[in-house]
Amino acid sequence: MRLAGKIAIATTVLMFIAAIVTGPVCAKVYKTALSLAITGPTSDAGNPYSKGVEDFFRLVNEEKLLGDDTIECIIRDDKYETDITKRNFEEFMDMGIPIYLNYSTGSTLGLKRDFEEEKIPVIPASFHYGNLENSHYIFLPIASYSEQVIGLAEYVANHSEGGTPKVAVFIHPSAFGRGPVDDLKKAVAAGLKVEVVEVVEHGKDLDNTATLQRLQNKGVQFVICHTVQSPVATLLNDAQRLGLIAGTFGEKGKMTFLGAHYTGGNDLIALAGEAAENFYWTTSYTITSVPGPGADAQLALAKRYKRDEKTANSHNYANGVMVAQVAFEAMRRAKARGLEINRENLYNVLNDMNGINAFYPVTTVGPVTYSKTDRAGVDSLQLYVVKGGQFTAVGLPFRSVYMRKIH
Amino acid sequence: MSANRWLATGNFFATYKEEQRIFLTHLDRAVFVLFIAVLFTWPIFFELSNKYMLVINNILIAMVAIIGLNLVTGFAGLISIGHAAFVGVGAYTLASICQVIGYDHVAVTHAWPAMILLCGIVGAAFGAFAGLPALRLKHLYLAIATLSFQMIFEWVIHHTSFFNQGQTIFVGRVYWFTGQVGRSEHYFFWYYVCLVTLVLLGLSVRNLLRSRYGRCLVAVRDNDRAADAMGMSPGFTKVYAFGLAGFLAGIAGGLHAYMYRGVGIESFTLHQSIQYLAMAIVGGLGTLNGSFWGPAAIKLLDLQVENLAELAGKVLTSHLSLATALRPLTFGLVIVLFLMFEPRGIANWWRIVKSYFKLWPFRY
Repeated sequence: MRLAGKIAIATTVLMFIAAIVTGPVCAKVYKTALSLAITGPTSDAGNPYSKGVEDFFRLVNEEKLLGDDTIECIIRDDKYETDITKRNFEEFMDMGIPIYLNYSTGSTLGLKRDFEEEKIPVIPASFHYGNLENSHYIFLPIASYSEQVIGLAEYVANHSEGGTPKVAVFIHPSAFGRGPVDDLKKAVAAGLKVEVVEVVEHGKDLDNTATLQRLQNKGVQFVICHTVQSPVATLLNDAQRLGLIAGTFGEKGKMTFLGAHYTGGNDLIALAGEAAENFYWTTSYTITSVPGPGADAQLALAKRYKRDEKTANSHNYANGVMVAQVAFEAMRRAKARGLEINRENLYNVLNDMNGINAFYPVTTVGPVTYSKTDRAGVDSLQLYVVKGGQFTAVGLPFRSVYMRKIH
Repeated sequence: MSANRWLATGNFFATYKEEQRIFLTHLDRAVFVLFIAVLFTWPIFFELSNKYMLVINNILIAMVAIIGLNLVTGFAGLISIGHAAFVGVGAYTLASICQVIGYDHVAVTHAWPAMILLCGIVGAAFGAFAGLPALRLKHLYLAIATLSFQMIFEWVIHHTSFFNQGQTIFVGRVYWFTGQVGRSEHYFFWYYVCLVTLVLLGLSVRNLLRSRYGRCLVAVRDNDRAADAMGMSPGFTKVYAFGLAGFLAGIAGGLHAYMYRGVGIESFTLHQSIQYLAMAIVGGLGTLNGSFWGPAAIKLLDLQVENLAELAGKVLTSHLSLATALRPLTFGLVIVLFLMFEPRGIANWWRIVKSYFKLWPFRY
């Protein structure tokens, strides 16, 4: 064989070996991280949430949705303590993550300045509107608590009969609970036709008889709840015992109970039993008791990773899945554009997620849209009501009108 | 006094003054100076991640707080279950100033040593006030009184819009001679501030304990009626012990607020108070060095268990909650085991080790 031929063969062999050796090396691992309450307060929501995030990233890696590249998501328990969240965040910063998934309202508000300084896009599980104020890097997955509560109040105003409906707001005694109250009052001042008779901050009471009777004496017809499931279940049980739960929406002399995202779901039905009947609930997520592609996808994912039935049907599992979907989608789009996966590029990609670039995760009732002036992801809300022991959809997804008037 | 001031193996005190020395031998002093020198120099040679610098700073701050708790509970024998509230008073003093004049006001960012001192003074005032029931109450009844202070503190913060209803109140970045302390050197800077504060306060308390005021604390703890008969004022001593504990807690609160650059109620809850009490017990009640061992042990244990829980979580992916339950379980188990088998805390181990080396090569 001539020398040129030998060189050609040797070169080919070397190139082949190089391709084999360097191929896997080219595959990148993108790190991201989630700090949340797997133990401690709100861990009932945090647990399925973390599983949703974990499962979706496992799916991405196993199905090679980012080609040979993979996502490694570090999940840390912060026990709902901001100090621990801060420590976790510092660790994640040392790892050089390009996007961060946070959880609680307290820690998201508390670390807002750190997010600004680090210029890192953050997707929290908290939908507190305050997260968006004086910040540029926090992206809410769905409509804010304020929008949910105002949306419910609008529904009350539009569907009740006979004068201005009297509303009480039943909230969690924390920043999380108090968040939407001022916005609701602003909406009323802007012309929303409801009268906010009382704002009740619940304690750890096991009995709400006095509260309910006081509200009844004040002529309250609607109670909008913004807290977690267990206080709502206690309230509903007591209302049922007192015979106060309305059989139909806005029934005279009775009370109709409504709630924002973290009040509802299967856990509420499990806790309140029959008292949950006719409870109205809003969220931007699809739920498994309403058939559809979102429910199918959620159940299939949970089944694939052998999650128990409670987790599989949890709206907080869907919540976690959706947040992971958004983070993944930002990475996928950045990669498709030939951009490096870093904080700046992911921030820009998220801000471009609107119009024809809007992202449609099947687990929500509307598209995820972000821009520099709108960092609340899914703007649409779906109303659900408990009928026959499960949540069913009421009408089509809607958007709050007054939220846009006051912000 | 021993002829050999370096290697005295026994007690050879001839006067009270000799017995009251801070360092009994030159070797003790040399080891202490060397140890302090190591503490001051290691960060220059070994760069540690922000996470671990934060953990270390947190330990130093907890040590300041625990010295205070040890004074009131260990030395004066007055049970305090509301120590986190006193730390919170210090932190919220700074937060209040930030609310009134702005978090980046020059007084907050430039006069920070004065601010930390002010936090201590306000903490002392609240401590002395909360200690007033000690004039009439003892033991469990006093414990409940301090618990009520914790409850009132939490309620006030949660329900006052001035305090942002417990939400984070931001504290600005401080300035040093070189300019603003940026994010990259933040934890490094606060390490030195916390360390200097701890060393100064530690030495001050060590000095206090060998003074008549320090001995009063112990006398009142051992038998307040006997102390009264000997001319001491048990009531004043108790209130002053609470005031002193409040001062140290307030300083810790000020440091906490600056280091975390914000103040939120979550850091000063009853859970934190219990954790402080656990640190004091594990470290060793009634010993000054126990105030250093306890926070270090509990905080580092918590971190190690967290790492273990994460490893367990990887093995038991679908049982993540079971893995993370390791943390509270371990915390509880450590407290119970210490109470059962080593009620004098880690400080006693340190005493045994010191005794061994002091007598070496002899056994006794």
